[in-house]
Amino acid sequence: MDLLIIPLIVLLFMGIFSFHFALLVGDWDYWVDWRDRRWWPLVTPLALTVLPGVFGFLLWDKLRLPLGGTLTILCLTLAAWISRYLNFHLFADFPMNFVWPSTYIGLGLILDCMLLLTRSFFWTGLFGGFTFGLLIYPLNWSILAPFQVPLELNGTMLTVADLMGYEYIRTAIPEYVRIIEESTLRTFGAAVTPLTAVFAGFLNIMNYWFWLWIGYLGTKAVWIRKIV
Amino acid sequence: MKTTMKLLCAFLLPLIAFCVIYPSPSVAHGERAQMPQLRMRTVHWIDVEASTTKLAVNEIVKISGKFMPSKYWPHHVDSIEDTAYLNIGVPGPSFVRLDSRVNGVPMIRSTSFRKGEVYDFEITMKARKVGRYHVHTVINVKGAGPMIGPGIWVEVTGDEAAFVNTAETLLGETIDLESYGLGNVMAWSALWFAVGLAWFVYWLTKCPIVVPRFKRARELGPEADQMITTMDRRMGGIFLTLTLSLIVGGYVYAQERWPITTPLQTGKIDVPPLDQPPTPIAIKLIEARYRIPGRSFRMEFDVVNDSDRPVTIGEFAAGNLRFINADVLDVKPKDEHDLVASDALRVEGAPVAAGATQRVVIYADDAMWETERMTTMISSPDAVVAGVLSFFDDAGERHLVEFGGPMIPDFGMVPR
Ligand SMILES: [Cu+2]
Repeated sequence: MDLLIIPLIVLLFMGIFSFHFALLVGDWDYWVDWRDRRWWPLVTPLALTVLPGVFGFLLWDKLRLPLGGTLTILCLTLAAWISRYLNFHLFADFPMNFVWPSTYIGLGLILDCMLLLTRSFFWTGLFGGFTFGLLIYPLNWSILAPFQVPLELNGTMLTVADLMGYEYIRTAIPEYVRIIEESTLRTFGAAVTPLTAVFAGFLNIMNYWFWLWIGYLGTKAVWIRKIV
Repeated sequence: MKTTMKLLCAFLLPLIAFCVIYPSPSVAHGERAQMPQLRMRTVHWIDVEASTTKLAVNEIVKISGKFMPSKYWPHHVDSIEDTAYLNIGVPGPSFVRLDSRVNGVPMIRSTSFRKGEVYDFEITMKARKVGRYHVHTVINVKGAGPMIGPGIWVEVTGDEAAFVNTAETLLGETIDLESYGLGNVMAWSALWFAVGLAWFVYWLTKCPIVVPRFKRARELGPEADQMITTMDRRMGGIFLTLTLSLIVGGYVYAQERWPITTPLQTGKIDVPPLDQPPTPIAIKLIEARYRIPGRSFRMEFDVVNDSDRPVTIGEFAAGNLRFINADVLDVKPKDEHDLVASDALRVEGAPVAAGATQRVVIYADDAMWETERMTTMISSPDAVVAGVLSFFDDAGERHLVEFGGPMIPDFGMVPR
């Protein structure tokens, strides 16, 4: 029975999560020159928490399995790598180092371990939800940092990521459509990264609780009860 | 349970197929799809040339010419004077763009252009993928979309595997842009994947986990936490510590290895217009009629020639179509899709003598009006046309003058 259900669940998560993520985060995760300090670390945790919240609740409440975070994000990661490799690299010819997916698996692990250790959705939301939002940027810095090394092109300073965005032509994505670095927070200079991270963390506490609640409503829904 | 599975499968497979295929970042160049008013009244492209139309991978092609944002820019379309970006229309990164300039200013970021001003542009590209490409100039206008210029067929031959694209960072490191940083990305991603998978596998070792745990959890009700063993808790502690250490470790590693970084760079660039004398030719459109049965555009102007030489009209250009007066100019189409009608412009009442004001009538007759779907402008709620006339004096000097005004269709029902 498990041999049948678990692969199906994995496929389900891959499908739903990558669709959902493409709609909500999309370009911020497709292109390395969209991963800024302001919008990407704010939009991503809010969108990324949905499935870990809903399915985290179901898996814990119904099976006492602390897997909702890690499993859904593992599935997303797998689907993202397949899609970037096939669509963006092989089909659309972008170099893989321009379109790689960010890594979020560590965030799922934090949620699951917190849930297992506290056995409480309240404390998991407070600590796990917060660190989930807080740590997106530091977690990805190990792979993003080399793309933000400065260089010069015709008298303009830009990062490696900006240069790749300029050189590898995207006809449908002109430079101005990038939603990056825009906000009054820019005046905080170097402090913008930690400020955004803390802000994202606080928002994400509520966000996680909200999606847990949606998961809870799901278990109450009659049609789901009929299926299980 | 069986039907549930079938239902799940039926719902899942298309969804996954959709996700793996969606979204492809390629774009079709709908040059003819755009409304004729938009093509005629947004950006006029002038003398767009490619330095070569056949080249090998790693070789350079330059696309250059002029463009003029129309003074008759439609009011309901977001203006090019707000935010615009000089781009190139190719299917994916078949070329890499090494440089692009307007009036000599690098166009790495977005900018804005003034209506009625003539700009020089040049885009330098290096061939990356083998194929035959219809390369279009494009200006993306924020809120309005791409303003597509003329297309030129460029053929790339050679060996894609030999393509090189390097850059030097401000720290003095030479990097290969085709692969830079990818090894590091894959190593960290694989490591995280392994840790996540290990966590999943730990719970899988308790298989069967679905049905028995579901029953047990229901039995225990509020006491279901009893299902968590000491070993489970120990594992939770280990994985939490491991995860947090890896995050901190990765961050410290990156700070050590790439201590100098800058945020993504954005913000608008200013392009000063060229310092050029005002054109000595003034024109006033008296009447523009499009005769549908003859595919003939007839326009009547009052031309004021303030220069000290006689001038005549060599070319009429509108919406990327070029109508050439063969008596003045010799322009042949560059390829089978070049929208040039080499002998399709008839001029009556020219040349206009120096200092004179004269009524001039021009006829632009060609099937291109039909084939390029320009005639659909008849069904527009705002039938205003615009175009550029190229005046030439007897010394060969050119003056570009834009005109615009209402267009009246002639259905061939009223004899004239
Ligand atoms: Cu084309």
